[in-house]
Amino acid sequence: MTYRRYELLKDLAPIMVDKALIVSNIGFPSQEVYDIQDSPKNFYMLGSMGLSSSIGLGLAQSLVNEDDPQTVISIDGDGSVLMNLGTLSTIGNYGPKNYILLLVDNGAYGSTGDQPTHTSGRTDLAGMARAAGIESVHVTHNEGTKAVLEQCMQTDGPHVIVAKVAPGSPKLKPIPMDPGYIRDRFKLAIK
Amino acid sequence: MNNISQDLLKELKGNGADYFTSVPCKLLGDLINLLAEDQSILYTPVAREEEGLGLCAGAYLAGKTPVIVMQNTGIGTIITSLFSLGLFYNLPITMIVSHRGTPGEKIGTQVPMSNATMPLLDTVGIPYFAYSDPGDVKNVGRLVQHAQVAQRPVAALLDFDFWGKA
Repeated sequence: MTYRRYELLKDLAPIMVDKALIVSNIGFPSQEVYDIQDSPKNFYMLGSMGLSSSIGLGLAQSLVNEDDPQTVISIDGDGSVLMNLGTLSTIGNYGPKNYILLLVDNGAYGSTGDQPTHTSGRTDLAGMARAAGIESVHVTHNEGTKAVLEQCMQTDGPHVIVAKVAPGSPKLKPIPMDPGYIRDRFKLAIK
Repeated sequence: MNNISQDLLKELKGNGADYFTSVPCKLLGDLINLLAEDQSILYTPVAREEEGLGLCAGAYLAGKTPVIVMQNTGIGTIITSLFSLGLFYNLPITMIVSHRGTPGEKIGTQVPMSNATMPLLDTVGIPYFAYSDPGDVKNVGRLVQHAQVAQRPVAALLDFDFWGKA
């Protein structure tokens, strides 16, 4: 079976949904997270391509000084991170211990028809993350991601997981939720 | 260190601001140095304005009161995210914007974007307030409260006269 982002997120849902605060990326990734397991602790970023990692970083920084701070997982993509590369240097210098960037790398702009990104060529985002100053960087493949995410959730970060999967997505519908509802539900779930 | 930056930070904090991010500008140098030294706030410098808007969004969702400190040229890079993040989710984010290209400017290339800054903010639908007098510093600080009331990003445009550098 082809192991795509959908299969990955389905494998990861039992360990991360409702257990961590999740910021999910624009387009198909958010639709897939919603389809697999909706939760008030999921923030569906429906626009602002490139900013999933930044929103999660601001969240994690704001919560890290609390007792037993919640883990924040930004689900991002190769195309999106390439659009906001400065984020890696900001995470490298200001990323808190409760922050995980789950960078699902399928080498394609999936929501727009699987045009190839540069990671399907010569570009190595894990190498760029390390060079940006992030110490805990992991490259995983398919089913191997789950154990690494579990380990990252139990140890101090910031962590970056570059999870390699195949391109492609199931056909899903847009999330039937008002942005104000997504916002307020998420804010209440944090408390 | 000029007093206007100290006064401005005091007013912003006095109105509840507790999370700051910045992209540099010569006019913002003193303020950014103060932010970096201030242990009572969270502060993260970023590489580009959109990133800062994302950080502010996350901070707000976690219960903080965020401020982005940036130059008006950054309005050009931030517009799409102002629409699809700031306005779409109704996020109260205070934007402290140095207005380059106003009288006192020495760099000609700053002028075209200077002229376009207010029309761009009008087009996007971001409430903005322009100040040229350091005596207005309390009014700038009040915008932190105004963003909460407006439930959207709100911008202060602060020119050379405001910073006392004309």
